[in-house]
Amino acid sequence: MSTVVNVEEKLFQNRYKVDHGRPHIKIRQPELCRNECKVQSCTFVCPAACYKAEGNGAVTLITDGCLECGSCRIICTELSNVEWEYPRGGHGILFKFG
Amino acid sequence: MSEKFDVIVVGAGPSGNAAAYTAAKAGLSVLQIERGEYPGSKNVQGAILYANALEQIIPDFRDDAPLERHIIEQRMWVLDDESFVGTHFRSDDYNKPPYNRYTIIRAQFDKWFSSKVKEAGALVICETTVECLLMDGDQVVGVRCDRQGGEVFADVVILADGVNSTLARKAGFHGEIQAGNVALAVKEILFMPQETIEARFNVKDEEGVVIEMFGKITDGLMGTGFLYTNKDSITLGVGCMLSDFKSNPNRTSPYAMLEKMKAHPSIAPMIAGGEMKEYCAHLIPEGGFHAVPKVFGNGWMIVGDSGGFVNAVHREGSNLAMTTGRLAAETAIAAKAAGKGFAAKQLAGYKSALDESFVMKDLHKYRDMPSVFHDNSQFFTTYPELVNRAARTMLTVDGIDKKTKEKEIFSSFRKSRSLAGLAGDAFKLWRAFR
Repeated sequence: MSTVVNVEEKLFQNRYKVDHGRPHIKIRQPELCRNECKVQSCTFVCPAACYKAEGNGAVTLITDGCLECGSCRIICTELSNVEWEYPRGGHGILFKFG
Repeated sequence: MSEKFDVIVVGAGPSGNAAAYTAAKAGLSVLQIERGEYPGSKNVQGAILYANALEQIIPDFRDDAPLERHIIEQRMWVLDDESFVGTHFRSDDYNKPPYNRYTIIRAQFDKWFSSKVKEAGALVICETTVECLLMDGDQVVGVRCDRQGGEVFADVVILADGVNSTLARKAGFHGEIQAGNVALAVKEILFMPQETIEARFNVKDEEGVVIEMFGKITDGLMGTGFLYTNKDSITLGVGCMLSDFKSNPNRTSPYAMLEKMKAHPSIAPMIAGGEMKEYCAHLIPEGGFHAVPKVFGNGWMIVGDSGGFVNAVHREGSNLAMTTGRLAAETAIAAKAAGKGFAAKQLAGYKSALDESFVMKDLHKYRDMPSVFHDNSQFFTTYPELVNRAARTMLTVDGIDKKTKEKEIFSSFRKSRSLAGLAGDAFKLWRAFR
């Protein structure tokens, strides 16, 4: 399967209340992603494509489109490099239908 | 907020609402805390509502609950790239009230359920995230919220905080979820006129159809797809074990899998013209019996997805959630009446009630199923293809005699799986299902 799918178009339909400047998920030590993690599975497993594999080997994270599923935290077992909390009350994804 | 309640319920999904409703109805003082803007705004489900579990809590729920369609037809499809082989079960028995199962839209349903919780007398606070449990020694005595002075106290805290089970994990009641014990599912809701749905699925009024699918739609991973008919929308989704997504050499994203499924020649015509209005993702605890953690302790009980209460084989979750929520509340009610405190010993009745209910009985029955499928990906790759090829061979009229076709089918099975493999697979399935 090598279909190129634009997930941004999907996320555009969703309703969010972004907590600006207070991301609820953080990469603990970015250098670990770059140097220790070969697979970087968060960059394709995250259903909202919040994690991006950069050309220089780094992984960057923008949580604005996060669907709050928890996958990234659970798959990062070897390095435990994802600091994961729920957004502050009322923030984050707000499902209209769920 | 430095009040003390009999019960604090964290989360306003089916399990939390069932717990809060049952406890409040019995006269306990109940505080329910929900992090979403309104109950349902953080919750995702397919969604099928099984009537029985809710009937036990609110017998007349059909009077005003927002229900989409009652299901009169269930389809099971095994797909390869171009085709599917399926069974359809449709019965007019399912058209006689009271109906057995419905499609629902969770954001609406949860809001309704929450209104019943409030009517029963519980205090429901939204837009508030619980950060951690408050402990007095090894006894849970309350929760800390992300509001100023947000410490609230209670005799019992019922954790209905969903599959990620953040609070119990932070408190050290159980460890991190294993990627092999959860499925990651994504879905879309596609709106179209009611008449279009009724024509495409051969139903009228409020009749509905569900289609459960597996096979080539999941890129060879262990997983399933589904299509549910709502009143004027269709919910379409696909899910696989998180560990399989992670180790998939194709590095397929969940949304690419969903797009491929939508383009399948058997699926595309059913959803054509649908207007996509939301895209969701959610984890489903599918570890079953062996993955259920310790579910009670001093001053706390775990209910719903947070405790892993999902019967993945039968695609049941919300009914287990509601039942566990109700049983936890009944345990709290009994403990309060007994007046001997709320230590683990006083809450042990929750576990025995679970064991006696269909919840643990069903999870126990299918205890080996997750590992059987997980270790035998041929069920999701080889077999769907073989079955579809067999059907095509047998049903294509091309001048080749049927005996030769039979031989061809048999040898195609032999080529893909040895005789021992075929027999072994049958045995594994039988053992896991019995």
